[in-house]
Parts: sequence; structure tokens; C-alpha cells
Amino acid sequence: MSGERTDDRRHCAGDVAAYALGALDAAEAQAFARHLESCPDCRRELDAFAPVVDELARTAPRMPAPPSLRSRVLQAAADEPAPGRDAADHAHAPRGLRRPTWSGTRRPLLALGSAVAIIVAAIVVVAIAVSSGPSTRVIRAQVTGPGTASLRITDGHGELILHRFAAPPPGKIYEVWLQRPNGPPAPTSALFGVTAQGRGSVDVPGSLHGVRRVMVTPEPAGGSRVPTHAPVIVATLH
Amino acid sequence: MGLVHGGDARAFEVIFDRHADVAFSLAYRMCGRRAMAEDIVQEAFLSLWRSDARYDHRRGSVRSWVLGVVHNRAIDAFRSESVRTGRNVSDEAALARLTAPESTEAEVQRRDDAGRVRGALRALPVEQRQVIELAYFGGFTHREIADMLGLPAGTVKGRMRLGLTKLRVGVDESSAQAATIGGGRR
Repeated sequence: MSGERTDDRRHCAGDVAAYALGALDAAEAQAFARHLESCPDCRRELDAFAPVVDELARTAPRMPAPPSLRSRVLQAAADEPAPGRDAADHAHAPRGLRRPTWSGTRRPLLALGSAVAIIVAAIVVVAIAVSSGPSTRVIRAQVTGPGTASLRITDGHGELILHRFAAPPPGKIYEVWLQRPNGPPAPTSALFGVTAQGRGSVDVPGSLHGVRRVMVTPEPAGGSRVPTHAPVIVATLH
Repeated sequence: MGLVHGGDARAFEVIFDRHADVAFSLAYRMCGRRAMAEDIVQEAFLSLWRSDARYDHRRGSVRSWVLGVVHNRAIDAFRSESVRTGRNVSDEAALARLTAPESTEAEVQRRDDAGRVRGALRALPVEQRQVIELAYFGGFTHREIADMLGLPAGTVKGRMRLGLTKLRVGVDESSAQAATIGGGRR
């Protein structure tokens, strides 16, 4: 092969490319890292190779990261205080979830419309029970955007808890709906927003007995009789 | 990055959104399995979240740092678990899953850069490209590659060095040509 020759400059120089590519085993890499501290020639060569190796990553065919991965990573980060974070932020918040300061407004129950089932049918619903206790269980809801939402059920009564959730669009408010088997979503009196940090919580009115899904949609500020948007949160009760 | 150092979740989200695709692409290219690639990317970003003391912005971009962590974690996974099946998924198989093209100018620039690197990689003598791809994407050590190819370890390392040197020159020349053409058009 043209241009191929044995490296005769220095014994150590032969390891630079292998080190840059991650092709030394752990012991060799450790030894070479120590060598680098005292070898300016190798450091120079490594500095020259580093951007090239960095560019190699770009040659990988583009694969979009799954949306579920985003939710998982952000939730895991929220559950794990980072160095430098205010300890008080998590002092009383299991799993990194600080109780929100939001307070919601209430409105009378409204009647239903017929377009509901069509909208809801388009939603893929997956809810995962993430914890349980003697009388309380928490269901992680499916969300369509950034952030997380959980439904905490205690003795048949629910509380939705949102974390890092996007604010409703301007002029809109979030509305909670309950859906029973084979029925359209029924509006509730629960209308709510989130804080600037994306936190929010709201009690789900009434009993969840017989309820199949708890859903949230963005609606006009006064609420709506029928969903006018696809749900942004869906919690399925099993 | 300073915000992430301070535990700013919003800054972390922005960094994730900006670099997750390229990180996942690299992880999937290396291990060929979605679940494993997701685990690797998750661990890489969480290590960034925890990296208060370890990330040094003077040593490179956040993207480089993330990709470096993804690469190292994939290699660690390969070498600790003997997970060999499914590695090195073919480019064709991965390309078949590509979704809609990116639209932002930055992404277009990145794709141009990626195209230049791919071109420079393709232009390498096959024996040099082979050892570079086995090492970088396959996560194999130079000794493993030497065993695979029936070559002395020194020859493998020599090919890596020559290949990276030519790759650097090739990318530089390609970038210079692109700049010249771009300048001529303006």
C-alpha cells in the first residue's frame, strides 16, 4: 500500500492514533495518558487528531433520538439533583418533584359534545404504573410534549402533578377530562395553568371509580364543553 | 454550560434538544440496537448533568464532549459485557430509517460538514479506512483488529495513524474548496 510505513519517529507516537480512536485497552490507555503528561510531541499529535476523530461521529447516519428518550432523560435529571443546585429545592421533594405553588380556578360542570371521541381515538395511550402503596398509587401519564405528568390516586381521588410542562398557548388554559369505558370525555371543573418553571398540580374533581382515562387539553380561558384540542396528557387507569 | 453547572434544568433541556440526535446517531451506529443506544445516550447526558467538575469548556464544544462520552460509554459497554451481536449496523440499514430532512441552516451546515468527512473517509485506502472504522465505530482494540485481520499490532496502529493524518488533510482540503466555491458564488 502506498504511503504505509512503520512508524520510526518514536515508539510512543504509534499509540497516539490508537488512543485518539479509543483503540487502546484500559491499561494501555492509562499508561499512555500518563505518558502524554511528559511528551509534548504526542500531545501535539493528539491535538491534531482530536478534531478529526470528533468529525468521525458526524459520519454516522442520522437517527433522530426517540421522543421517549427525551422524557426519560429529563425525568431522570429531575430526579437527581445536580451539583450546584439549591439543596432547598429538593429538601422536601421526593424524586426531585417540588410541590408546585400553582392554585387553580374552578368552574361549573359543562355538557358534552359529540366530536370528543374522534379526537381521543387518535391518541395513543400508554400509562405506566410507577409506584404503589397501601392506598396511594402513581400513574405516569403519556404526554405529547416536553415535561412529565403523573396522576396520584389516593382512596379513589386523583391529583395531577406536572413537572417542567409547557404553559398552555396564549389565551388558553388546561382543562381536565374524565373518560369512562365506551364514553366520550366528560369535562370537569378543573382548569389550571403551570408556573414559569413548568410546575403545576390540580385535584381531579370527584371519584375516579369507573374512570378509564384522565386527560388534559388546552382550551379557551373559560373552559370548554367539548375538547377543542387533542389531549396533551393522558393517564390510563388499569 | 455554565447554567448546567448551576443545575439549570432548562439549560439542560436545550443542550439535550440540540445534541441528542447526533449522540443517538453515533450510539446507534456503534451498537446497532435501539435500546442499548438509548441507554448509552441517557447515561451520557446524565453524566453531563452530574459533571460539575469534569466538563471543561476550554477543551472543546459541548457537542464534542457529549459525543466523546457517548463513544466512551459504548466502548465500555462492549468491553465489559462482550456485547458483540448487532454492532456495526450497516449504513444502509440505518439510512433506511432516516426521517424527514432537517431544515435549519445550522443543520444544513452540519450535514455539509458530515458529507465532507464522509468523502474524506471514502477517499482513504481501504485498509486504513477499515482499521479506523473498526476502532471508532466497532469499539475494537488495536489488538483485536490485528487478530481479526491477521496483521501485526504495529501495522494496525500505523494504518490508524496514516489514516487519521490523511483524513485530516482531506477534510481541510475539502473545506477550503467549499469556501472557495462559496466565495466565488458570492
